[in-house]
Amino acid sequence: METIDLLVVGGGIVGLTAAIAAAEGGARVALVDAAINAGSNANAGSLHVQMQSRFIRLFPDQAPNVEASLPLYLSAVKEWERLDREIGPFELVRKGGLMLAESAEQMAFLEQKAAREARQGLHVDLLGRSELDKLAPWLGEQIVGAELCHDEGKLNPLVANVRLRARAIELGVDMQIDHVTGLGQQGHVTVHCASGRVHHCDKVILAAAWGVGSLVQGFGLDLPVRAEPLHMNITEAGAGQINHLIQHAERSITLKQFGSGQIVIGGGWQAQSRGNQDVPGVLAQSLLGNIALAARLVPSIGQLRVIRTWAGMNTTLDGKSLLGGVPGAERIILAVPGDAGYTLGPLCGRAAACLALGNEPPLDIDPFTPGRFSA
Amino acid sequence: MSDQPSGFTFNGRPVALRIGQSVAAALTEAGQRPFRVTAKGEKRGMFCGMGVCQDCLVTVNGVPNQRACMTPARDGMQVATQVAFAALTEQPAVQTQEGRQLAPDVLVIGAGAGGLNAAIAAAGSGAGVVVLDERKVSGGQYYKQAAGAASVLDTQQQDGAALIAAAVSAGVEILSEVEVWGVFEGLLVMAHHEGRALIARPRTLIVATGAFERPRMVPGWTLPGVMTTGAAQTLWRSYRTLPGKRVVVAGSGPLNLQVALELSRGGADVVMVSESARPPHRQPLAAARMVAAGPRLAARGLAMSLGLRQRGVNVAHQTSLSRVVEVENGLKASFKDAHERQIDHLVDAVCMNDGFEPQNEILRLLGADMRYDPAFGHLRCKRDSTMQTSVPQLYAIGDCAGLGGAPAASVEGTIAGLAAASYCRDTPVPDLRKLQSSLAAHRRFQQRLWALYDIGPRDLSAQDDDLVVCRCEEVSLGELRQALGTAPGHAGTVKRATRAGMGRCQGRYCGPVTARMVAERDNRQVEDRSFYAPRVPIKPVSITAILAAQEMLDGND
Ligand SMILES: Cc1cc2nc3c(=O)[nH]c(=O)nc-3n(C[C@H](O)[C@H](O)[C@H](O)COP(=O)(O)OP(=O)(O)OC[C@H]3O[C@@H](n4cnc5c(N)ncnc54)[C@H](O)[C@@H]3O)c2cc1C
Ligand SMILES: Cc1cc2nc3c(=O)[nH]c(=O)nc-3n(C[C@H](O)[C@H](O)[C@H](O)COP(=O)(O)OP(=O)(O)OC[C@H]3O[C@@H](n4cnc5c(N)ncnc54)[C@H](O)[C@@H]3O)c2cc1C
Ligand code: FES
Repeated sequence: METIDLLVVGGGIVGLTAAIAAAEGGARVALVDAAINAGSNANAGSLHVQMQSRFIRLFPDQAPNVEASLPLYLSAVKEWERLDREIGPFELVRKGGLMLAESAEQMAFLEQKAAREARQGLHVDLLGRSELDKLAPWLGEQIVGAELCHDEGKLNPLVANVRLRARAIELGVDMQIDHVTGLGQQGHVTVHCASGRVHHCDKVILAAAWGVGSLVQGFGLDLPVRAEPLHMNITEAGAGQINHLIQHAERSITLKQFGSGQIVIGGGWQAQSRGNQDVPGVLAQSLLGNIALAARLVPSIGQLRVIRTWAGMNTTLDGKSLLGGVPGAERIILAVPGDAGYTLGPLCGRAAACLALGNEPPLDIDPFTPGRFSA
Repeated sequence: MSDQPSGFTFNGRPVALRIGQSVAAALTEAGQRPFRVTAKGEKRGMFCGMGVCQDCLVTVNGVPNQRACMTPARDGMQVATQVAFAALTEQPAVQTQEGRQLAPDVLVIGAGAGGLNAAIAAAGSGAGVVVLDERKVSGGQYYKQAAGAASVLDTQQQDGAALIAAAVSAGVEILSEVEVWGVFEGLLVMAHHEGRALIARPRTLIVATGAFERPRMVPGWTLPGVMTTGAAQTLWRSYRTLPGKRVVVAGSGPLNLQVALELSRGGADVVMVSESARPPHRQPLAAARMVAAGPRLAARGLAMSLGLRQRGVNVAHQTSLSRVVEVENGLKASFKDAHERQIDHLVDAVCMNDGFEPQNEILRLLGADMRYDPAFGHLRCKRDSTMQTSVPQLYAIGDCAGLGGAPAASVEGTIAGLAAASYCRDTPVPDLRKLQSSLAAHRRFQQRLWALYDIGPRDLSAQDDDLVVCRCEEVSLGELRQALGTAPGHAGTVKRATRAGMGRCQGRYCGPVTARMVAERDNRQVEDRSFYAPRVPIKPVSITAILAAQEMLDGND
């Protein structure tokens, strides 16, 4: 019976970076990915640090968890910068993120939010319209001010995913497309796949996002994992103008310009679920609403054409990341990032790899362990 | 006062124009071939001539990225070369004009042979019918009508004019210059007309969007002056503009012969038609089977060949285009004959058609079941005997459902029109047996006709790594090959890795190639899922048009 050191389930940003870190640490690693609905393949490449207003509004009960995690986002961006240097470049730019206000009430909300974030160590400033005009004169006339979070940035996830995948292959990670159907731990871990293949391994990292819930059900864990289909848009290329990541104090939106000159617009508009095994569909009202909002905030994009929309699967939990061994089956390690999971992905991936190899993780995982979901 | 327009300017220089001409036609007539510059600094011009390739972009009156082939030229227009990265400039607040919402019994998308016949049949059965078409003049590819004042060329145009008149007198409402950019579940259709929104929620939808042409991907196929055969045909039939003085036509299939003859009669010097297949007399059995299935159409084909011979146009069989390079004052087109001998011609324009790809985006978006036809190298839409797809109340007719030619498209249209009207009026579907047997005869002829040609998907394995496969994002064959090395498993993975298919044409040219390369690598059959996933918008859509649609729907609630 052949055993390998580590099997990673899920080939999104968490699975890839976990596999890379473990292989760099000398482990023999295989990665099994179902190659369907990876949020990492659909995401917008925003490096989020400040609290997203969308999140506070949609999941108010989870907001305290997000707030407590803010320092984690700072470390996560640093981890991205390390990867960008060592494996990139991924077009990573860190010019900060602007959260716009269109009214005095929204500005007041941003003031409160900025104060809370500053307490957590974030570098934030409040800008009035005249200061904003120096940074982004192209914003809509109605915008009264913004919160600038200097820590935020953006990268091109397509480039990052390709480079990271190539790096994993270069390190000898055995990449397989398959669907994991069940696991068991008797000494080592056995992993059953839809193809009929059975893997025997010393450790398993579950980085399967929306797919982890069913895999650990038999282990007394009741994870509130939810697959959330989200909408994205991209325009044709325009001349470079927008350096910042643009968000809004009240409305759902992220807007940024890629190195290609294209404007990427998203920010959590809903898409239509067709189940986890099918790619979600695009909804007319999301397309129209998201673009209309974008053109109101940044009128200078109004002459460009939208060339593509898509929908991808985000995974939400309780706002916090999930990191650590399954209680009673510690060889099985869970690694699901909290909100803004692409930002957090590499840090979570490396933390999971450290746990698998018995090394000290790069962060204190106590707040994130699976025990909080023990039935 | 004269109604002859005087002209417009291109980069400040005057360009003459005739009534009805597109910007692309007027520029071509003026000898201006490059229209835009790519991100890598390459020059591009008109290629498809039908609004698909997005390579003919120009700036018109300050508005960037307008398709010259779809934009009617107007007096006093200021047209300029399109730069790769249009400046982001604030425009005066968008004046969205009032749009329109429709809920007809039958909505037909495409006013070609298929769509017009469907509309006539449905209206004749008492249904309310609206037809949308993105072109200025109805008729589609086969009945391609003259724009503006040009006189009727031949019976093909005459028949088309009669068909359009029949549709109008049957009470069909035809809306021209309306481009459908999105469809959503539940048959919600979004379209625009010069920034005005049109939103339709029909009871039944008949898709008749036709096909676009498959190019021959050889070094130089992206150069200005290289265009599809259909683009040259549109220049001539719609705008009485020749693609150039000296022309070669390359590829496979009867359209190349027909267009070569039309261009020659129009005054072009057609120096050669290269046909990859063997001549019909070298495939006597297949030729006889084709003649038996359709003696009249076969005679038309023969007349075309004779016409070309009389005019001294050389049709070189078993000869294929191998490369195009830019030379002083034109293009050098190189060919390889059956004995691998090289033939060079100096020309103004190279026309190419290597088969067709169905415009099936709307059908795929709505989830209609497809199957892959390996002989033609494209998807065919599965339909029942009334042309209904696997999606209830969605019908597919003509070339968008798989290549079948104009006569079959017409009959399919009539069948679908009758069936859709019956559904709307809750009456039994009339007896379709006669129509179905004539459809079977047309299909038999088509099958035997294409057996004489070489229109299977082209193998690129002999091409060098630096061949451009994705025109829009300028992705090379070498980059695709490299991406295949990482076991991508799906064309979508290759797309994300290389950007092939991420451009404005949305993968219409590189998509089929990538899908086949991935399937081949994995030893799998090509199927619907092998291709890039369909997504809205099916054509790039201006933010202005989206705002107009948003405003209209907002006004509803
Ligand atoms: C449209 C969109 C935009 C987004 N934008 C941003 C953004 O700008 N910034 C940001 O920080 N975050 C963003 N996110 C969130 C982010 O993309 C995700 O949180 C993150 O990518 C999750 O990474 P992951 O590795 O945990 O999981 P995923 O990338 O979701 O990968 C999980 C993988 O596991 C596989 N899998 C599941 N079950 C099984 C099984 N049983 N066996 C084998 N494989 C399995 C799946 O097929 C999938 O490939 C966005 C998300 C979406 C959908
Ligand atoms: C370029 C070209 C030239 C051809 N020339 C000849 C020829 O000379 N002789 C011959 O025998 N056969 C020719 N054919 C083949 C023949 O035209 C077709 O078999 C026949 O026209 C099929 O009819 P149809 O109704 O399916 O599609 P078409 O006649 O192609 O009509 C489709 C219509 O749909 C419209 N349309 C497509 N997408 C949209 C959208 N998103 N929104 C709004 N409108 C849309 C188009 O503008 C077009 O008018 C040609 C085909 C092509 C592609
Ligand atoms: S030539 Fe105009 S879009 Fe292709």
